[in-house]
Amino acid sequence: MAHSELYAQIDRHAYTNALSKCSPITKGFFALSALIISVSSPSIFVPITVFVVSTVLVLYFAKIPVHFYLDMLILPTIMLLLSCLFIALFFGYGQPLAEIGLPWFTWTIFKNGITLSVTTFLRVEGALSCLFFLVLTTSITDIFITLRRLKVPKVLVEMSLLIYRYIFVFLEVSAKMNTAQALRLGHAGFMKRIRSVALVAANLFIRTLEQGERTFIAMNARGYDGNMRVLEDLSHPRKAALLGIALFDVALVLLIFFTMNIGVV
Amino acid sequence: MLFRLENLSHRYSDGTLALDDVSLSFAKGERIAMLGTNGSGKTTLLNHLNGILKPTAGTIYYEDKPLEYNAKALLGLRKRVGFVFQDPNDQLFAPTVKQDVAFGPLNLGYPQDKVKELVDEALKIVGMSEFTEKPPHFLSLGQKKRVALAGVLAMQPEVIIMDEPTANLDPRATSEILHLLLRLNKDSGITLILATHDVDMVPLFANRLYILNRGKIASEGTPKEIFSNAELIRNVNLRSPRITHLFEVLKKENNLPIDEQLPLTISEARKEILRLLEDKKQEN
Repeated sequence: MAHSELYAQIDRHAYTNALSKCSPITKGFFALSALIISVSSPSIFVPITVFVVSTVLVLYFAKIPVHFYLDMLILPTIMLLLSCLFIALFFGYGQPLAEIGLPWFTWTIFKNGITLSVTTFLRVEGALSCLFFLVLTTSITDIFITLRRLKVPKVLVEMSLLIYRYIFVFLEVSAKMNTAQALRLGHAGFMKRIRSVALVAANLFIRTLEQGERTFIAMNARGYDGNMRVLEDLSHPRKAALLGIALFDVALVLLIFFTMNIGVV
Repeated sequence: MLFRLENLSHRYSDGTLALDDVSLSFAKGERIAMLGTNGSGKTTLLNHLNGILKPTAGTIYYEDKPLEYNAKALLGLRKRVGFVFQDPNDQLFAPTVKQDVAFGPLNLGYPQDKVKELVDEALKIVGMSEFTEKPPHFLSLGQKKRVALAGVLAMQPEVIIMDEPTANLDPRATSEILHLLLRLNKDSGITLILATHDVDMVPLFANRLYILNRGKIASEGTPKEIFSNAELIRNVNLRSPRITHLFEVLKKENNLPIDEQLPLTISEARKEILRLLEDKKQEN
């Protein structure tokens, strides 16, 4: 799947999934609290629980297609596996698990190296599932309105709102320029390709400036006075849902205390 | 008169004289087309009408009062005179259709409830109600144009200005936009001023038109008056509607007894053909 295609699909799901009407505060609270607990957990069972719960929410409750969720997970997971392999082979101290005699030195793999590697892998997977849950179920509009409610500085929210919208406009523009170059053999050979990419980048930069000017004029034509106002029609978070998530978090923390001494090997 | 432009000139900072001593007027409820080639000054002219550009010479009167350019006066003008841009991507900046349409009425300081009503109504008029929650990048060009129009309609303007409303649209989207505009004019009495070079569309839409050429008004009149002057049309690098051209050729080259007043639209052409057939029958 092309990158731009993947972005557009994520966006589509965010607007149309079965949990899109659920309060973004509830979803954000769940995702961020579970993410923090998952990342900081020394026990392997907490990230596993978080991963399973998030995945069930994404697939069963939000009704995101399984293959799409897997598509999203696969790339970061491959990267993560490589890093964790590295940790397992070269990190650790104390009790050795295996010793491999090489002609010039003895290569030791440590037990706690393996534990660190597996824990890291699971922590990150747990965190990823939380983030994917938030990204796939909450539209960017909801996130902006929530940020505004949470008193994040206005400039920041308004800038991201505009940037978000025009990312898609310029993705389209750059894809067109890219095709136009390819059709005139601009990608035949490495050096030509480098040159073509540079041209697209330079051109896009100028286009963005022009677009900014035009959008500003168009906004003025509808009475823009420097304050960007938005329609606020978000469902309020249900107290029961927030309480439920808080209890879930407490349970996770307790689980950490009960299982933190269980090693992997 | 709703709008009166007196000796309006506009020179861009690079020195180009885009409008040269233009005087014209629009009455309430009119459907005006500004016809001209690319670079004839149409867009520059339209941009003056809701205060996007300020004339370098001359005056614009709205309801006989000269336009003022302070923030408060401009907000008042822009509430009454809406502008739909040629490229909807310039205009649609919000992450969803609903938020975008709400932008104008929110700037007018209406409360949230009223804005919601206006947004729903505007989207209903343009037939985009089911796309309320969609982000603009999921829409086709024709749909984006309609949302852009809704964004202006939600401010309940008296005048709507559209720059090339049918540019790059497929035949169906073109006809939808056209009918929508005609309905707005008929039902709500909204004055429409649009710039175009789509000569086939003009007779279907406009009750009066101005021909712009190199920043000057080359001619003014009803579509019938303008298009019966074939020489003028050619001089300003435009053409007659296809159907008119066909009848002109039939009259000149084949000496068919076609009425002096050439048909401009399909329905007029149909009447003329039926009349010719009827006359022929009677001759036999």
